[in-house]
Amino acid sequence: MQFCSFRLLKSVLAVLLTGALAGCVGAPQSAALLASWDVQALPLHSPILLDNVPFFAQDEYQCGPAALATVLVADGVEVTPEELVDQVYVPARQGSLQIEMLAAPRRMGRLSYPLLPELQQVLDEVASGRPVLVMQNLGLERFPQWHYAVVVGYDLDRGELTLRSGLIRDYRVSMRVFERTWSRAGRWAFVAVTPGEIPVSANEQSYFQAVTAFQGAASAVDSQAAYAAGLARWPQSLELAMGQANLVYDSGDPQRTRDLYLDIVARHPQSAAAHNNLAQMLLETGDLDLAEEHARRAVALGGTFSDVYAETLQAIRQEAADR
Amino acid sequence: MKIFSKMSKGIATLLVALFTFMSVQAPVMAAMVTTEQLAYEQHTETQRDALRDFFSRDDVAAQLAERGVDVNAAQDRVGSLTAAEVAALHQQIDDLPAGEGLGVVIGIIVIFMLLDIAGVTDIFPGI
Repeated sequence: MQFCSFRLLKSVLAVLLTGALAGCVGAPQSAALLASWDVQALPLHSPILLDNVPFFAQDEYQCGPAALATVLVADGVEVTPEELVDQVYVPARQGSLQIEMLAAPRRMGRLSYPLLPELQQVLDEVASGRPVLVMQNLGLERFPQWHYAVVVGYDLDRGELTLRSGLIRDYRVSMRVFERTWSRAGRWAFVAVTPGEIPVSANEQSYFQAVTAFQGAASAVDSQAAYAAGLARWPQSLELAMGQANLVYDSGDPQRTRDLYLDIVARHPQSAAAHNNLAQMLLETGDLDLAEEHARRAVALGGTFSDVYAETLQAIRQEAADR
Repeated sequence: MKIFSKMSKGIATLLVALFTFMSVQAPVMAAMVTTEQLAYEQHTETQRDALRDFFSRDDVAAQLAERGVDVNAAQDRVGSLTAAEVAALHQQIDDLPAGEGLGVVIGIIVIFMLLDIAGVTDIFPGI
């Protein structure tokens, strides 16, 4: 797996691309975006350029740490590419794995949010002031040249994106060319945000997934901030509400957890998992009658975690019998 | 049977993946449903929806029909797959290069259904 280094490839590609590739690979998202822009059907401002986003010229192969430092420093983290090399650079691959790229920001108190594979989301994030870290395959399917870069601007009139890429601070590339290289890397893109902030293109499910991944590496305070922001945006989210309550439980406060679950069960009476967790809290706080009622409700509703519900009910009955 | 002769490396990989998943995925008994469990379930349902979308595609329906599998039956089956099965099949579909290999994936699905019916495997408990 070759990462980042352009030299060898450029000469090979110059020959290959001109003949074989021209015209045979489409860029449907760019085409659609630019067409909508031409008829003024896009609610986007253009051009946008996030000129304050820093630039770290990459050492050979180390586009991963450089791109990561770019988005992290832009979001106020004090870090250098060199400090990130140990975290994300895999010498044997001469590059960085995507999973490591997502994990590193979490360890520095930033929530990694993967975007949907849509160019529109990349533009929306940039328009909101957030640089977007993208993966590209600058080569071909069979001769991949993996590369990480950061999108910092776009100009729809010119059909261009501006990237922090390799040794070029403001690399202006045609949207169509970018889309092809991006598509060959699975249209992978993410933003790193301060806990408590929500990316403009975020959806409820992906945000919850991002927060649970964040939680494993983050402080309780940061995790709580991420849940609170999510619930402010999606007040009806069962998963976010339960995640928040479970976090309170982990902090060793069953009373407050019980109160949170009472509220959750009132809002989501069909959630077996919520009934179960409320029953457990009631058991721990000594209200066995009410605990049994909710445990039975969980068992009756059933579902994926029905084994857990059965166990909760049994534990409550055991406790009642022991009294 | 022609269909069995088509058993390829991909199927072997999928089988290994399935059994590995199933052996490590046994949930730890806990009285609380944890956030990780919720996230895993939500993730599975998202993938299940993607599988449903996959089976709704015209080209996929055509491939299934060619092998004598009813599309509605396949859709029902998706609803009864376990998390590990959903993940394994989703992985196969996710790895599909555009416009290629569709027949192989459909072949895998059909073979699993046949093996299950024959009682060789018990991967799709709904059958």
